[in-house]
Amino acid sequence: MDLSQYKKAWESQPEDQHKISAIEIYKMTQARSTSIVKWIFIIGLLEIIFWSLINFFMHKMGYTEIYDRLNLTYQLDIVSYISYAITIIFLFLFYKNYQSVSTTDNTKLLIQKIIRVRKTVKWYVYLNIFGALIAMIVFTVIIINSPEGLKTVLNVEENALDRDQLMTVYIVSQIVASLIFVGFLSLFYYLIYGILLKKLNRNYNELTRLEQPN
Amino acid sequence: MQSDLENKFLSDFESNQNIVHKVCRIYTSDKDAHNDLFQEIVIQLWKNYSKFRGDAKFSTWMYRVALNTAISLYRKSTRKIKTQDISDFTYRIEAIDYDDTVEVQLKALYTAIRSLNDIDKALIFLYLEDKPYKEIAETLGITEVNARVKMNRAKDKLKKILNP
Repeated sequence: MDLSQYKKAWESQPEDQHKISAIEIYKMTQARSTSIVKWIFIIGLLEIIFWSLINFFMHKMGYTEIYDRLNLTYQLDIVSYISYAITIIFLFLFYKNYQSVSTTDNTKLLIQKIIRVRKTVKWYVYLNIFGALIAMIVFTVIIINSPEGLKTVLNVEENALDRDQLMTVYIVSQIVASLIFVGFLSLFYYLIYGILLKKLNRNYNELTRLEQPN
Repeated sequence: MQSDLENKFLSDFESNQNIVHKVCRIYTSDKDAHNDLFQEIVIQLWKNYSKFRGDAKFSTWMYRVALNTAISLYRKSTRKIKTQDISDFTYRIEAIDYDDTVEVQLKALYTAIRSLNDIDKALIFLYLEDKPYKEIAETLGITEVNARVKMNRAKDKLKKILNP
């Protein structure tokens, strides 16, 4: 059977029997959206808050004393101010990109804009992981150069461990902690963004494949 | 209290709500999902209504927002696509004084469209709604030439499903 016959059937289909009244429509306009964009916005915001809190507490608690002893307080203050500035810039970009998402754009542009909101957060997280990595390396170098400081900080009894043992314990625990952390983070991204972006990516690929017909 | 803008929106929507129902029917396969998507489309239409300047027809604008919501914003549309039940559909279209053949054809058509991917659904829907290629291309954000190419492929897929 030809498609045009189905098209005729389509054109002659009746109006939906369950016509929704103006009052119900009005109620719907007052409801909250549960769209993918909304979820990406909420999760992105939580991510930015999470990372800035980590930055904040790392600086304010525990570590300060160690840095004092290592004479790094001044440098660390500068790093903190830079990271606050970066957070504010990212929050601004994130919000601006979110605001630019409009359902009245064409489909391709709309998906591009949604993915851009997500990308802003991704770069913020990358930057934080990169920062944490640098901090860890710098810290390790300092510790290697003055293992006595580490002993005091960890409350290790004098002569309980020799220098090599201490270094091994320190480096192994750093690696294990980093692996666990990266593992959790990857799982989080795989689950949350995998679910949220699967459909968008699939539809975007389907659309852009149109640009280069085989 | 409803404002003038709200009243105007409600009356514009009222006369065109069947478009939204059709979009919901092809992108969802049960009543709950249909109502969910319908509500999300209404929210998006209303949210953007103040930006609608009336230089386009309300219905044209509505096609775009409704399809965008189904394709890019709605979370549950992939649910149950493989295990859809044809009878889900009948609760929506059960006009008694209605030609049987047409009803059978419609059921087959809806079932076939539902098995297409989101973009092909949009293409076929706009074809069935008699939209010109220029408008289809603008709605999806692709060139007219590509809209034609993709439309032909989507139609081929649909024909294969309808006439295996």
